[in-house]
Amino acid sequence: MADTHKQWLEKLEANSRTKQEQFMNDIAAKLRHPRMYEKPQHPFRGAPDFWNTFEWTEEERIKGFTENFLSVGGHVARLQTMEDAKAYIVNKAEEMSAKYVVRQNEPELAALDLEGSLAESQVSVWNTDADQYWRARAAEADFGIVMADHAVAYTGSVTVLSSPEKGRSVSLLPTVLIIIIPLERLKTRLGEVLVTFDEAGREKLPAGIHFISGPSRSSDIENDLTIGVHGPGIVYALLVG
Amino acid sequence: MAGSKTEATVKARADLALNDEFLRKAVRFTTERLRNGKKKATDEHGNWEEWRERGKQIRLHTIAHLDYYLNLFVNNARANGVHVHFANNAEEAVGLTLDIAEHANAKSVVKSKSMVSEELHLNHALESINVEAVETDLGEYIIQLAGEMPSHIVIPAIHKNRYQIADLLSKEAGYTLPPDTTALAGFVRKKLREKFLEAEIGMTGCNFAIAETGSMVLFENEGNARMVSTVPKTQITLMGMERIIPSWSDLEVMATLLPRSATGQKLTMYMSGITGPRRDKDADGPDEMHIIIIDNGRSLQLGDPEFQELLNCIRCGACLNACPVYRHIGGHAYGSTYSGPIGAVLTPSLNKNIAEWDDIANASSLCGACYEACPVKIPLHDMLVYLRRRKVESGNGSKIEAIGMQGFATVMGNSSRLGGVLRLGKLGQKLVVRSGVIKTKLGPLKGWNTYRVTPSLPKESFRDRWDTLDQELKQGLKQMEPSMQNRMEELVRKREQDEKQGKGGHGHG
Repeated sequence: MADTHKQWLEKLEANSRTKQEQFMNDIAAKLRHPRMYEKPQHPFRGAPDFWNTFEWTEEERIKGFTENFLSVGGHVARLQTMEDAKAYIVNKAEEMSAKYVVRQNEPELAALDLEGSLAESQVSVWNTDADQYWRARAAEADFGIVMADHAVAYTGSVTVLSSPEKGRSVSLLPTVLIIIIPLERLKTRLGEVLVTFDEAGREKLPAGIHFISGPSRSSDIENDLTIGVHGPGIVYALLVG
Repeated sequence: MAGSKTEATVKARADLALNDEFLRKAVRFTTERLRNGKKKATDEHGNWEEWRERGKQIRLHTIAHLDYYLNLFVNNARANGVHVHFANNAEEAVGLTLDIAEHANAKSVVKSKSMVSEELHLNHALESINVEAVETDLGEYIIQLAGEMPSHIVIPAIHKNRYQIADLLSKEAGYTLPPDTTALAGFVRKKLREKFLEAEIGMTGCNFAIAETGSMVLFENEGNARMVSTVPKTQITLMGMERIIPSWSDLEVMATLLPRSATGQKLTMYMSGITGPRRDKDADGPDEMHIIIIDNGRSLQLGDPEFQELLNCIRCGACLNACPVYRHIGGHAYGSTYSGPIGAVLTPSLNKNIAEWDDIANASSLCGACYEACPVKIPLHDMLVYLRRRKVESGNGSKIEAIGMQGFATVMGNSSRLGGVLRLGKLGQKLVVRSGVIKTKLGPLKGWNTYRVTPSLPKESFRDRWDTLDQELKQGLKQMEPSMQNRMEELVRKREQDEKQGKGGHGHG
């Protein structure tokens, strides 16, 4: 291999840029208009108007989220304080004898002091040691613990965003996933969360935005529902507040 | 290259499928389940027509300005650090993939479900340079072990029962697995975990690409698409050039339509928006991310008034579940990557080869159930007619059918000729009618009578009875009941009086 990896990528990019012009010119020609460089009017952007005014009360949001999450095989607990959430997690970890626990490196989770409270488990905090292969740490974990960045009642979904402190693997690789949802982050419609990414704009988006609506599932064998095919098979959503 | 055919015609492949009792039952059961799921989900959500219309408008708008939106996507994705490539056809896409695999020193590639990858027959190409390609979607993994093609866009292994699956997986495991769904899925989970962690490359498809931020969106239930885009060092995404939507706000409409139409879910278990490779300080996600944008016949539909809407398709599979033909013959009978009504139109369109794929357009009853089911209102049944017309116009129609049509015109164009033919038929059928029906599979009746019987011509036809009927009708009209006649005459007198007094004529008020 004469060329270095970087040179090879540069060569590919040069090819790609040339081809991009041909590609777009060809599309414009087939559509029978000159190349469009101005943003066109998009009168049908997003959901229909009647939908954008639809909003549930907090009680309805809690009820809707809970029903949806339970209906796909998830678990929901309604808790008053973060202290309650801590007690819930400690209890579950003991009940299921969780040996390895991995959590996101977030202040709300640090405040729970799970490291001090889970005597039987080894708790690691995501990306706190540069020499660790963190994906493997998450893969071996029995429990993954994350904070929800957003939640959507109408679809029963939780949104988690990636960052140096928040691994995508933590909500994906462990056997059991525990998500803490502060009530003020629970919205009615999917659009209320999606629009925040339009508002943030490209440069502020994280690499990974994941909506999680329950445990991993498949019906690929004889239409028989199987839970926990690749992702976590047991998912707890803790509504706090 | 797309769609290497097995049996020569749809009919031959359908005959194979119709003989496979299990396949027929499985297809019927699954499509029924998905169809009912969709109905329940759309009824519950409400205003479904408004959502369909909105989905259609967003797709129409994007495709009509595709040069703008695709270019915007490419520039934004590049700004996110993605290496974007273009492939005019399958060969170029395969070439790019192999080049990337070689530079990544890849020994194995883990793949999540991608219809585009099926289009390219990529697995064989990777094997040719000694790279193992592993399908990680449970159903795709099963059919990969069996060496088969997917038979349903959403549930690829719909045609296999758990005993067959247990046999396949036992061979892979080296020990006997019970034919129990949980045990089988458990084995696959463990086996593929190892594959995810050791593979150098993860490969995905792309459900939607968001132009304004250069993000790509994946819908899935198992978590394997998240795996292949989180764990390996290099990610390659294959994306059809038409997958674009303008914004995240538009994604709400697609996220409302796609899962409900595909499986009746409010949302798939995972919906992921990926914006570029791993950030410098992130501890997971790919170091290097490639997106290959593929034409492979798609741009042929642009500017074609009859087929441009094909590019609006969001690959939900609802038209398959709604189609009476698909439900009977299953996906394999279509002999190509895409089956069902969408496949019957898409395959010949992508290949621009109407002559070779002509028979697929005929595997349809033109009932319009596909259009009714389509969440973005693609008029598939109309397109099937256009395809048939183009086939005939291009001189690829059936010769026998043309002669038959000519004969039909000759006979029907002249009443005494028709009368003569019917009399001949009545005489001729005496040879083949048994207990009032015709069951013979000889001659022109073979195709029809294989699955049903032909009714015999009646002793006295409607045409024979017409003179009598005509007489009876005319008589009937003359003999009106006296009370009714009185009432009608009374009404007419009243109206005439009103008109004289100037009370307005025949108005409705």
